[in-house]
Amino acid sequence: MGNGKSNRLSGGLIIGQIALLLLFLGFIEYAVRKGIIGSLYLSEPTRVIKEIITLFAQGEIFPNLLVTLQEFLAGYLLAAAAGIGTGLFLVLVPRAEAFFGPFLSALLAVPKVTIIPLLMLWLGIGLSHKIAIVFLFCFFTIAFNTITGVKQTAENHLKVARVFEASRFQTIVKVILPSAAPTIFAGLRVSAATGLVGALFGEMIASKDGLGNLLVKATSLYDTAKAFAIITIVTVVSVLIIALIDLLEKKVFLKWKSS
Amino acid sequence: MAGFSINGVSKVYGGASPTETLSNIDLTIKDGEFLSILGPSGCGKSTLLEILAGLQLPTSGDIYFDGKKLEGPDKKRGVVFQDPSLYPWRTVFQNVELGLEIGREAKTDRQAAVQKYLDMVGLRGFEHKYPHHLSGGMKQRAGLARALANSPDVLLMDEPFGAVDHLTRLQLQDDLLNIWEVEKKTVVFVTHDVSEAVFLGDRVVLLTPRPGRIHTIFQVPDKRLRKRDDIALLKIQNDIYAAIHDVKTQEHLEFTI
Repeated sequence: MGNGKSNRLSGGLIIGQIALLLLFLGFIEYAVRKGIIGSLYLSEPTRVIKEIITLFAQGEIFPNLLVTLQEFLAGYLLAAAAGIGTGLFLVLVPRAEAFFGPFLSALLAVPKVTIIPLLMLWLGIGLSHKIAIVFLFCFFTIAFNTITGVKQTAENHLKVARVFEASRFQTIVKVILPSAAPTIFAGLRVSAATGLVGALFGEMIASKDGLGNLLVKATSLYDTAKAFAIITIVTVVSVLIIALIDLLEKKVFLKWKSS
Repeated sequence: MAGFSINGVSKVYGGASPTETLSNIDLTIKDGEFLSILGPSGCGKSTLLEILAGLQLPTSGDIYFDGKKLEGPDKKRGVVFQDPSLYPWRTVFQNVELGLEIGREAKTDRQAAVQKYLDMVGLRGFEHKYPHHLSGGMKQRAGLARALANSPDVLLMDEPFGAVDHLTRLQLQDDLLNIWEVEKKTVVFVTHDVSEAVFLGDRVVLLTPRPGRIHTIFQVPDKRLRKRDDIALLKIQNDIYAAIHDVKTQEHLEFTI
């Protein structure tokens, strides 16, 4: 009964939220059409939707989306592998963290965006440039989360492995990594969002294609509706990437947590 | 065969103010024996068990197991931990399989052994549950099955039933004795519960606290299929309570002098 009540309450909540959203969008539509807000600054939601349809219908979105996803995926996977590897290395090799820790922290402290122009000098403005940016945006979070996760391995879980005479490698694969997995996944999920930001930002600064490039072109032509259309698409892509990682977490790597 | 010979074992934890946890333990544990180690918290009984497991090394003295000097963990000595220490990311079946998997046993052998011991400890039907779905008593059963599945000669049990409710504990004790009768392992069972120590053990080693020393070793009549209200068992319990009282008074005297 209490459950039914809360269901009804949350149903009302959602209706209210949708109503507020429609009211807001309706107001913008009205304000732009009536010229209260110049169409240079904002765009009618209906026009944005039309722009999105055009972007897909004329196919302009696809090559650019593909480029951005490519940059993101390559940089992200490299950062995940290197981050988890570095994290394991620093904790499991005696004194490695004491020695390398300060260097890692110093690198972490450098605001990554400041390196983008230098990376351009070294790598040009193509794919490798963006992969490097995504990597930099993701690597440290993943590495530090791995360090935290590995350190949290329960002493007793390690004792169980020792009693069974597990090798170093078996201990890492069967105890340390699974036990650190929730913390590592938290890092992977946060850095997925920042990684995509890295790819887009890199494209906005210097690129030949990609969603960030498309966005800059649209705004420099004062095509506000198209800019909003691209922003909407990018947001959806970002949400989908996070959802994919959540799915991977729930169904594959951390099945035990959700069961 | 699978017995221990413990000679003058002491354990001192270092640091700014070193504390002696175990002092000069001499003890022989016979093959096939069920030995209870009884003591209040802080008497170093868990430390002694970890030393027997090879998880810790004594500061002085030595231990021979199976005629060989004990220098580290060995598959022949299975451990059942106080907190059952099951891996939460593995199902009950996978947890019990762990030792065999690490030992690279063939998959079919593994499955047969796991199922056998899951049945033995009464966890049939829970194979695919995760540990967080089990009650405290069932977790301990899984921990016991995990140790047994690896076919050790010795079971080292560290207050395994300390955290479960009284009725479940009595049931677990009965089941453990049944399994022991079938499996014929040497068991070293650490506990702070006098009746548990007496009901289970062939002998009960009473340790004094800080540092742990052997106070008395009580021989329990070896009649098996024991009854909890057996007059002989109750008599030993009384003797043990008297001995514990005796230790306390001594401590108290030392304190007041």
